[in-house]
Amino acid sequence: MIQDYLILSIILFCIGILGVVSRRNVLIIFMSIELMLNAANLAFIAFSRLHLSMDGHVLAMMVMAVAAAEAALALAVVILLHKHKGKLDSNVFSLLKG
Amino acid sequence: MFADWLFTGFSILSVLGAIGLVIFRHPMNGAMSLVITLISLAGLYALLSAKLIFVIQLIVYAGAIMSLILFIIMFLNVQNDDLPNEKDRFLYLIGGGVVLAPVFFFLKKIVQSIPGTEATIVGNGFGGVKEVGLVLFKDWLLPFEIVSILLLVALIGAVVIAGKRRMSK
Repeated sequence: MIQDYLILSIILFCIGILGVVSRRNVLIIFMSIELMLNAANLAFIAFSRLHLSMDGHVLAMMVMAVAAAEAALALAVVILLHKHKGKLDSNVFSLLKG
Repeated sequence: MFADWLFTGFSILSVLGAIGLVIFRHPMNGAMSLVITLISLAGLYALLSAKLIFVIQLIVYAGAIMSLILFIIMFLNVQNDDLPNEKDRFLYLIGGGVVLAPVFFFLKKIVQSIPGTEATIVGNGFGGVKEVGLVLFKDWLLPFEIVSILLLVALIGAVVIAGKRRMSK
């Protein structure tokens, strides 16, 4: 059934939120965000199969393009922060305190 | 019947990979778990008869983006004492799970009220390159162009971020 796919996407999204709120490693946080984007993609594809229209496929492709752009920029920022502080801890990166 | 078994296997694999991403301490182990999740999600897309998205998921996500992340992890040469001390992460995981459980059951109830169909595989005329391309370039032409502008902006931003370090030396 289509509902099983949607429930699976909800489970994956919740695990992604758990990774973002409970981990302090910036690379793990970044990959959890990727996992949440993938869960949204699965919901798009499942609804697109439910209604037999292909708009969901196009939206999923756009989400993938946004994820690629985000990966390029976020990894550049991670490299700069690692060069600056020498750590991967998100508690260390409190540069915006003024 | 066979598709049901495939769905069960792929969904168990993807959930296990996601849990591994959240639990493992070293980012390399987490990235490998995420690769398992992405590949099993590609299998689920194939079961939903989205052939083009299946191929794009394998090439772009499990190929390009994950190899970029793995390259960065190897480039940073992450040692064990570089990692944050996360001894209390299981406590945070349990707390976050308790907070998220009502949200999950609420969404599950909403989803089960949707009138669903059997996810049988649709043959020709759905989800292939020709059909998705027609929809993409007829109905979604303006968003497609906006996404291309977004990719250009990300390219310029990456060059600016990488170039600032060289000027500051």
